[in-house]
Amino acid sequence: MKRASGMEGKRARWGWVFVAPGLLFFSLFSWYPIVNAFVTSFTNRKLISLKAPKFVGLQNYVRVLSSEDFWNSARATAVFAVGAFVPLLLLSLLFAALIVSLRGWKRPAQMALYSPAVLSSVVAALIWLVVFDPRGLANQGLNALFGTPGVDRRWLADATMAQVSTIVVYVWKYVGYFTILFVTGMGKIPDAVNEAALIDGAGPFRRFFSITLPLIRPTTVLVSVMILIQCMKTFSTQYLFVQSGAPTGPIEVMTLAIYNTAMRDLAIGRASAMSMLLFAVMLLLSWLQLRASRGGEDAL
Amino acid sequence: MKRIAFALLALAFVAASLSAQAPVVPELKGKTVEITIWTHEDVNRTAIEKRYIDEFTKANPGVKVNYVTYPSGKIKDIVTAGFAAGNGPDIFNLEIFDAYPFLAEGFVAPVDLKASGYKSYKDIEAKYVSGMLAPVVEGGKVYGLPLELTNWALFINRKMFRAAGLDPEKDWPKTWEEVRSVSEKIAKRDGQILLRRGFDFRYPYYLTSVVPMVEQLGGELVSKDGKKVAVGDAAWLKVFEYFRDFGPNGRNLGSPTYTAARKAFDLDKDEIAMSLSGLYQIPRLKAANPAFYDSKEWMVVPFPQWKDAKKVVPNNYYGHYYMVSSQEPKLQQQASWALVSYMLSHGEEYLEQVGIVQPTKALMESAAFKAMPYSDVFAKDLAKAHIVYYGASSTKIDALLKEAFESVMLSGVEPAKALEKLRKSMAEALADE
Repeated sequence: MKRASGMEGKRARWGWVFVAPGLLFFSLFSWYPIVNAFVTSFTNRKLISLKAPKFVGLQNYVRVLSSEDFWNSARATAVFAVGAFVPLLLLSLLFAALIVSLRGWKRPAQMALYSPAVLSSVVAALIWLVVFDPRGLANQGLNALFGTPGVDRRWLADATMAQVSTIVVYVWKYVGYFTILFVTGMGKIPDAVNEAALIDGAGPFRRFFSITLPLIRPTTVLVSVMILIQCMKTFSTQYLFVQSGAPTGPIEVMTLAIYNTAMRDLAIGRASAMSMLLFAVMLLLSWLQLRASRGGEDAL
Repeated sequence: MKRIAFALLALAFVAASLSAQAPVVPELKGKTVEITIWTHEDVNRTAIEKRYIDEFTKANPGVKVNYVTYPSGKIKDIVTAGFAAGNGPDIFNLEIFDAYPFLAEGFVAPVDLKASGYKSYKDIEAKYVSGMLAPVVEGGKVYGLPLELTNWALFINRKMFRAAGLDPEKDWPKTWEEVRSVSEKIAKRDGQILLRRGFDFRYPYYLTSVVPMVEQLGGELVSKDGKKVAVGDAAWLKVFEYFRDFGPNGRNLGSPTYTAARKAFDLDKDEIAMSLSGLYQIPRLKAANPAFYDSKEWMVVPFPQWKDAKKVVPNNYYGHYYMVSSQEPKLQQQASWALVSYMLSHGEEYLEQVGIVQPTKALMESAAFKAMPYSDVFAKDLAKAHIVYYGASSTKIDALLKEAFESVMLSGVEPAKALEKLRKSMAEALADE
């Protein structure tokens, strides 16, 4: 192996110096918990116990995978992820295109859309609990709009509607954040490309589908991976809704099931096994998504 | 007359508290000890306990006390996380079914007799009403001292009864069937949206309040030998069906997603006519809505029974016990038990200011207890009640009950299917202990 020398070596050393704090932080707060959870998942460790945990092999994984509740939480997570992914991706793309096409008021529009993302998830869920109250704005607004006085859509008190409600809150909260990412991606498209298309007589739709969309492909991949990962990690809204009386089963997403297994059942070994399974699924889906996007690039 | 006696007693407590003298603990002389207390929020209780702590630290200047309160819905998770991280409090209290796992796992220290001023564990037991210490007695030692033991009865808004054409003195519901029919008469709706409820349950306290409904019909949560769970299909199914009928898919009389019944009751804004709560609700009602409290337009009646009940089972009572961590050094444990004993020596003030009952024989027989409005209703129910189920899995079992009842009430799950799942999950939880 050839050793870097001179200026290059010096640069590399400084590179390590600058990267080291980040690496240390990442190792301490990401890698260590992952490795710890992986090891714990093979033990019968209880969250509060003075006894030393015993190695139980794959017992936690077998139990989790044969549990009806685990598969219900996998279903709830899949429903939520798909239900939130599609509107989040489409709406953030749409809002970004609208913002980019604005002549003025770009900043206020971005700020207005982004502001819910600044709120903590707990505050957001509390706001929506008021909105979803049977006498709240959601029922009043829809009843006024559709001329259906007195209809209770049971936003939190019905299995299907509870799932819809969590999706609505999530899309509302994060659409602004992903819109900003798309706006940044669209901002990188050289003006000359759009101007040339305009001279050639391309209309706004043609320009969006033939120029903008292909050129923001890397951003779209990044955003879609981020949405997917974030959707699979959703927790606060479901947690607060269940605490406020919504039925548990329909919205007991994987993270909530992990939390309940650890904090309520005190079975941290089993909760760790569930976490590792969720981690594996997220890793696999992200890899598939990246691979699919690369395949698409090759085809271009 | 009763109210004058009550006022005189209150004055006597204030006078006594001003001259209170905390004990000097010999073991703490010349030592520096820092104690942390984690407890649930209760403005009235916090005020008097902070005063007791001041008195105690003045008498024992080497002791520093950090008194931290958390919302009652969050404290269980905070205590769990604290102990799991090896950084739990010295003193804590939780509802017994949440606290018991800590005791079972060895995180709770037995009462330090010398520091607490008792001669023996029998001496402690003799101070309390029979059976009240049962959940915290293990191997002849006592592991907690009761801050409160509470049962719930039915609070009634007389005005709302009269507005619905009912006579509250005669028509207050004695049975669950009457709770439903009276609620139907009081309920006001805008289409499907409930604007006024007659009665609503206290969600999600299923172990405390719903299991007694099953037991009235002859069912059991866990059989006496501990081998069977959710015993008595007919009883369980009848209660499941009652919840389905009561909820939004049935007669639409209430639901867990509405404002908590007891909070709405105190406000007296024509939102709810009946709610379940404990004696502690009376000072809270007085603080939240003095005009309503003084109006005497409210009353308390016993916990309802089924028309065809096989036995009388009032609402279960549950306890909050002050416990001390076994994970701290001996001196800290001694200081903690000394402080807990000093605080709890003010049983009558806890009753008068906070409305919580320490089940000592002296307090239950005291003029202070008898002078509390409707204390006789609570005492009569308490005499026939039993403590809420507690065990290493009680927190999980409470969550499983919530899931089962709310799946029937809100998600349209068939009662028989919900019962089957509940039974399977409960059996698994008990097997994991």
